[in-house]
Amino acid sequence: MVYIESWDEFVDRSLQLFRADPQSSRYVMKYRHCDGKLVLKVTDNREMTTHIDRFYDGAIDLKDMFFITSDVLDMKGHFDKLLVIMLLLSCLKFKTDQAQDAKKMEKLNNIFFTLMVRGPDADISEASSKEQMEQQASKKGRGRRQ
Amino acid sequence: MVLLQPDPFLNELTSMFERSTEKGSIWVTLKRSSMKCKATRNKMETSGQPIEYRCLVRATDGKKTISTSLSAKEYQKFQASYATVLKAHMNALKKRERKDRKKTVEPEKKQDSSKSNSSKKRALSTLKPSK
Repeated sequence: MVYIESWDEFVDRSLQLFRADPQSSRYVMKYRHCDGKLVLKVTDNREMTTHIDRFYDGAIDLKDMFFITSDVLDMKGHFDKLLVIMLLLSCLKFKTDQAQDAKKMEKLNNIFFTLMVRGPDADISEASSKEQMEQQASKKGRGRRQ
Repeated sequence: MVLLQPDPFLNELTSMFERSTEKGSIWVTLKRSSMKCKATRNKMETSGQPIEYRCLVRATDGKKTISTSLSAKEYQKFQASYATVLKAHMNALKKRERKDRKKTVEPEKKQDSSKSNSSKKRALSTLKPSK
């Protein structure tokens, strides 16, 4: 379970985690109005042991994992490297008290809705809600099938 | 767990937000689901039937849990309404205090520029007598 500092990194890793296991992964938002806090979590619901087993079975190849940087790959301690990767794989979290992050979260919400309904291979066009409304309006006007 | 249609779900979610301003938390979970049990899913896979997946949305305030599921046709309308609900209620987060930042930055800039000007003046004054 790791709190990720950078929003963009959180988004990239979350999408990677979801795509690796779309059946088991979920995206959770927790909001506390009294504290002014927002926490986001993406997890694939697996215990760390599952990831370790998959690693030793060769199901996970560290070099192919897009966001494993070279400094992690070069780590001498095999167990330490494993721990870092497994922690990043099973549960990702992002916490904030900033209003601007709520706006960023809205885009991530839209991405997850699209991926979950259409499938992990769906094309994520970063259409804002305004663009979608315009598309729907134009479709109605021209009488196109949906 | 109460399974609702998308619009009643949003109404109930709005009520949850309104009830939880003083204390408490709201959790909203999104998950991909076929809405069928594992046995049925396995049967469908072996018989070659395509499984239609939906987006399961759950919300809870710690005491009551509500849920809805979205199909490919419904989800875009839902996500727009959902965004509206969040925007309306998640306003306890801090906003960037740009005014304060400007106030702290400007006097520093003035001080820096005055310092650099004085140093330039000194440099020019040393150059002039050489003529």
